[in-house]
Amino acid sequence: MAEFKLPANSVLKIGKTYPAPEGARNIKIFKVYRYDPSNGENPSIDTFHVDMDNCGPMVLDALLKIKSDTDASVSLRRSCREGICGSCSMNIDGQNTLACTKAIDDIKGDVTVYPLPHQPVVKDLVSDLTNFYAQYASVEPWLKSDTPAPPDQERLQSVDDRKQLDGLYECIMCACCSTSCPSYWWNSDRFLGPAALLNAYRWISDSRDDATGERLDELEDPFKLYRCHTIMNCTNACPKDLNPAKAIASIKKLMVERKG
Amino acid sequence: MSWNDKRPMSPHLQIYKLPITAKLSILHRGTGAVLTIGLILLAIALAGAASGESAWESMHRLLSSWFGYLVLFGFTTSLYYHFCNGVRHLFWDSGMGLDLKSAEKSAIMVLIATVVLTVFTWVIALS
Repeated sequence: MAEFKLPANSVLKIGKTYPAPEGARNIKIFKVYRYDPSNGENPSIDTFHVDMDNCGPMVLDALLKIKSDTDASVSLRRSCREGICGSCSMNIDGQNTLACTKAIDDIKGDVTVYPLPHQPVVKDLVSDLTNFYAQYASVEPWLKSDTPAPPDQERLQSVDDRKQLDGLYECIMCACCSTSCPSYWWNSDRFLGPAALLNAYRWISDSRDDATGERLDELEDPFKLYRCHTIMNCTNACPKDLNPAKAIASIKKLMVERKG
Repeated sequence: MSWNDKRPMSPHLQIYKLPITAKLSILHRGTGAVLTIGLILLAIALAGAASGESAWESMHRLLSSWFGYLVLFGFTTSLYYHFCNGVRHLFWDSGMGLDLKSAEKSAIMVLIATVVLTVFTWVIALS
């Protein structure tokens, strides 16, 4: 059910403020969500004044600068720093995206940085995505074929069949889309969410996969699929410019078409 | 989903900058609720009309008051918005207009159509 308010243990407090180093002229303010599981206190917002003349262009650069210069205890996931690993997904300036591909200059005013919305927080910007990954696993994201692979070559596809996977296979499972979706916020225990559904559609669309009917059977459910109300936060959020809303609509269409 | 976790829930609605598509989705849900209540009022109005002249008179007086007009105006606006956005949903269900640019364009179109139809209806009603 929709719970619009945060639980009592999640209500934010005002945290610490860290001034910029002396002599800094080009200052940008970063308001960062902090939660420390070891002290039993509610999460808070810390304010960091960052010297932009001595900082890289992306939000991830600023966060890592804060971590190395100001407060080493700031916790976040990151790896590739070029938008392919999907680790540094978080809520920046009110929308989910990757910190490594979000330019600081594109943000007017102070930069707010929160963990991905409506998730259990492990520490600071690190949220627990166990449920998200379990939902991905539940769509069985692998090739299911009735025939054995040819012994001497790959399973071949026509150019057109391969094109059906464009806009789907590029998903990096960063969870920006699913955790931007209000339907997912209210029903993540039963609604699979845009990322898992886009990946389900990736395998439904694969000419080499023989389990389309079985996959659709599995999704024919008032919650798993049909909690999508085309709010389109997912498509707005996707840092890879994919369109989960369209993939979900395509699954719904297949559901109708197969009934004839 | 009740929260039985010792760990905090990260903020969501409180901090999310909703795109226009999401705002219109909320409006669709809201106007749907208004129309449900409006349907009950319509049934009461019809029952009033069916149960004699005096009942109809008092119903008419109530609906012609400024408050009655306000309710009727809210009902017509909700009806046209919900109808136009419903048509938008039909296009989506047939697989059309689901890219971001089209969805934003159709959002504006729905809002314009709602205003035009509501104003048109009230110009006729009041003339």
